[in-house]
Amino acid sequence: MSSLIELRGVSKVYEGNEGRAALDDVSLAVEAGELTAIMGPSGSGKSTLLNLVAGLDRPTKGQVTVDGVDVATLSEARLARFRCERFGFVFQFFNLLPNLTVLDNVLLPAELLGTRGREAATKARDLLAQLGIADREREHPGRLSGGERQRVAIARALINRPAVILADEPTGALDSRSGDRVMDLIERLNQGGQTIVLVTHDAKVAGRYAGRIVSLRDGHIEDDARLTSGSGAASDLFRVGSSGAER
Amino acid sequence: MSLRFGILGVLAEEPLHGYEVRHRLESMLGGAWEVNVGQVYLTLQKLERDGLIEPVGARGDRRKLAYRLTAAGRGELDRWLDEPEVEPQPLREGIYLKLLLSGRLGNGNLGALLARQRRAQLQRLHDLGDLERRARREQREDLALLVRGAVHHTEADIKWIDECAGGLGFLERRNRGGET
Repeated sequence: MSSLIELRGVSKVYEGNEGRAALDDVSLAVEAGELTAIMGPSGSGKSTLLNLVAGLDRPTKGQVTVDGVDVATLSEARLARFRCERFGFVFQFFNLLPNLTVLDNVLLPAELLGTRGREAATKARDLLAQLGIADREREHPGRLSGGERQRVAIARALINRPAVILADEPTGALDSRSGDRVMDLIERLNQGGQTIVLVTHDAKVAGRYAGRIVSLRDGHIEDDARLTSGSGAASDLFRVGSSGAER
Repeated sequence: MSLRFGILGVLAEEPLHGYEVRHRLESMLGGAWEVNVGQVYLTLQKLERDGLIEPVGARGDRRKLAYRLTAAGRGELDRWLDEPEVEPQPLREGIYLKLLLSGRLGNGNLGALLARQRRAQLQRLHDLGDLERRARREQREDLALLVRGAVHHTEADIKWIDECAGGLGFLERRNRGGET
C-alpha cells in the first residue's frame, strides 16, 4: 500500500536562483496517522517541501503523490479542489479574514467545496466547542487573543475533515503558554488519528510533540529520526546531585 | 543539587531524622532523582561536626536521631540562599573531542556523527516532554519548571550541534591539518 504522502526524487529549482536547488532529490514517505515535524534552518527547504506537498508549487523533477494521486497531473482547478478536500492549513500568522466572524472564517473552506448550510454550521460549532472557543463564534478575529485566533484557524483547517493538517510554524507568533496549548490541541488531534505535518524551526516543539523529525539542510534530508515515548526514566535524564556530602 | 544545603533547608522547616530527611528531599524533587540515604547520614554527621545542626533529644539509635538547625546553620543556609549560583559552564567537550579525533583518525564522517548526536538530543527533548506532562498532570508546577530548565539546555545543545554542522567544512580542513 502506498503512503499517504510520498515524494520520490523531488527537486525544485526556482528561476533566478543561479540553478541552485531549493530542494535537491528528496524522497520521503509520510504514513497516515503520523505527526511528522520538518525542521531546518531558514533556506533549508522546509517551506518549499510544504508547498510541493500541498500542490501550491510543482516540482522541477520527481513526483509528489498524496493519497495515491500524482499532484502534478491535476489541472489548476482540480488541484484547488483537491487541496481543499485533502489538506487543512494552519499558518504562523493565522491568516483569518478580519471582516468575517469566527464562525464564517471556519466555514470558508466548506463553502469553497459547496458544502455550506446547516450541516457545515453544526460541524463548525462542534469544532469550536472542542477547541474551547464556542462562545466566540460571533466575534471578529481582531477581538481575539493570538492563541484563540490560532484555535479558530485549527477549526477552519478541520472543517472539511482533511486527510492531512499542514501546520507551518503554528506557534511562531504565540507566547510560550499559548503555544503550548495550541500544540497540546494539535497533539490531541494526532492521537485521534489525524495525520499532521508540522514545519518548525523550534526544536523544543518538534522534540516534545513529534513522533518523527525530518531535518533538512541545504535542500537535502540531513536526518530522519523516529522518537520513542516512555523510554526516558528521570534518573537517566538528570545526573544525581550529591555534591556537598564531601564538603 | 547540593545535598548539604538541601538538608539544611528541610531541617529549617522542622526537626527530622535521616530517613525523613531523605524522604522529604525526594518528594520535594518529585522523584526527579534518588537521594542516597548513606550520603544523607554522612552529610548529617559532617553538618553536626561543623556546628550547623544539632541532635534533638538523647543519642541512641542513629536512624531515629532527629536533628534541628542551629543558629549558625540558619545563617549558613540564608547566606547560601542569597548567593547567585555561578557554577562552571558545562562544555560539550565529549562530542567536541569526538569531532576532532574522528576526523584525524580518518574513520569519521563528521556530518553523521553530528546527526547522531542531534538525534539523541531530540529524543531527550521528547523524554523531557513526557516528564513535564507527568509533572503537570500531578499538579507539580515546581517540578515542571525544573524540567523546563533541562529542556532549554537541551535546545541550546541542539543549536550548538547545528552550528557545528554549519561549520563542518572548517572542522574537516582543520582535522586534515590544513589549518591549525
